[in-house]
Amino acid sequence: MRIQVQFDLGQPVYVQIMDQVKSAAASGALQAGEPLPGIRPLAEQLRVNRNTVAKAYFELEREGVIETRPGKGCFLRNGQSRFRKAARTEMLLPQVDAVVVQAHHLQIPDEEVLQLLQERLTHFQNSRETSRS
Amino acid sequence: MTNDTPAIEIRGLVRCFGKTEAVHGLDRTVPAGSCYGFFGRNGAGKTTTIKCLLNLLKPDSGTVRVLGMDPATQELEVKRRIAYVPDQVAFYPWMSVRDTLDYAASFRSKWNTDTENSLLERFRLDVRKPVTGLSKGQRTQLALIGAICADPDLLVLDEPTSGLDPIVRREFIEAVIGAYQDADPGRRTVFVSTHLITEFEGLIDRFTIVEGGKATVCLDADEARSKYRRLRARFAGEPPTLKNPGILRQTRNGRELVLVTNGATEQVLAELRDCQPEDIQSEALSLEEIFVVANQ
Repeated sequence: MRIQVQFDLGQPVYVQIMDQVKSAAASGALQAGEPLPGIRPLAEQLRVNRNTVAKAYFELEREGVIETRPGKGCFLRNGQSRFRKAARTEMLLPQVDAVVVQAHHLQIPDEEVLQLLQERLTHFQNSRETSRS
Repeated sequence: MTNDTPAIEIRGLVRCFGKTEAVHGLDRTVPAGSCYGFFGRNGAGKTTTIKCLLNLLKPDSGTVRVLGMDPATQELEVKRRIAYVPDQVAFYPWMSVRDTLDYAASFRSKWNTDTENSLLERFRLDVRKPVTGLSKGQRTQLALIGAICADPDLLVLDEPTSGLDPIVRREFIEAVIGAYQDADPGRRTVFVSTHLITEFEGLIDRFTIVEGGKATVCLDADEARSKYRRLRARFAGEPPTLKNPGILRQTRNGRELVLVTNGATEQVLAELRDCQPEDIQSEALSLEEIFVVANQ
């Protein structure tokens, strides 16, 4: 897993780190039980404040994506989210809405949006399967 | 000291040199545990402010508090808990690297030898070498080791990387993140004055831009990057002129209109859309670009 940050995105750096960890987990680049980079080495490598990395990991843990094992570091949690199904669906809603709004502004027809979504789901699934085997 | 006590508190600071007011009623609070950027052009009053914090200069009026204490009356206690790296470091010319570090350690109640060893190794500094034989980069590295090993609660850096080559600058910042921030990051504060903003970009949580001895902009770094934006809109014909007060700068490039906004981005975007552009792009400004815009 390679984490990179950009300061001209206007997106807080800790959010960029969170998104990349989540995306690595979704694509299989980071597998359940595998360790995340240590806070200090990652902060040094990205040349960002340690607190920024710590905040990203704290939020990821709060969302149930990773777990901290005392003295050992942070690891990707295996499967089972701590949240109820309804809560998880609700957490996804704002992003789905953002896609719908953006598609409307870009004048992309609904069928194409659905098709694109299906394609990406398949893409990530394939990617997970390849890295598992 | 609790964590609520600010690392630095400056109230109405004024300091003159003859008739020139170097610092002109500066107010600033630096929370403990933050990494605070103090940006300003040469002559903006950065070093004068820092010298008032260290009791190297006496304020003409106003108050400064460092870790909740007055540096003029509690000088010793303040100096026990802080470390300072100036832009020009002076060492005793007859000493070696080893002597210099031992000398610095002799003034301190705590001295972290593990950090000392790892930083000496990282910077590839030979302890037997006389300080007169060190390059400018190595002198700064030695000063940084002397500052970090004392485990201070507040690390004050005044233009620490100016005049250094890019590799030394990079190593300097990595050492601040790695070695200094490693222990108790919730309490350890960094206060860095610089105009080389890009290098410290990732490290800075909050910053102040000073101009003419006064703070002009004080923001959280993430907030600043979302507040200041550059919008590029391309039109079919001549671009319109917008009159929104939230626009800091407006330039035309043929059919393209480039705007720099401060906060009112959504409003300006709506106004732009009303003018029917072919395309709009929005990007964040880096802290350095914000610094340039704020100083114009």
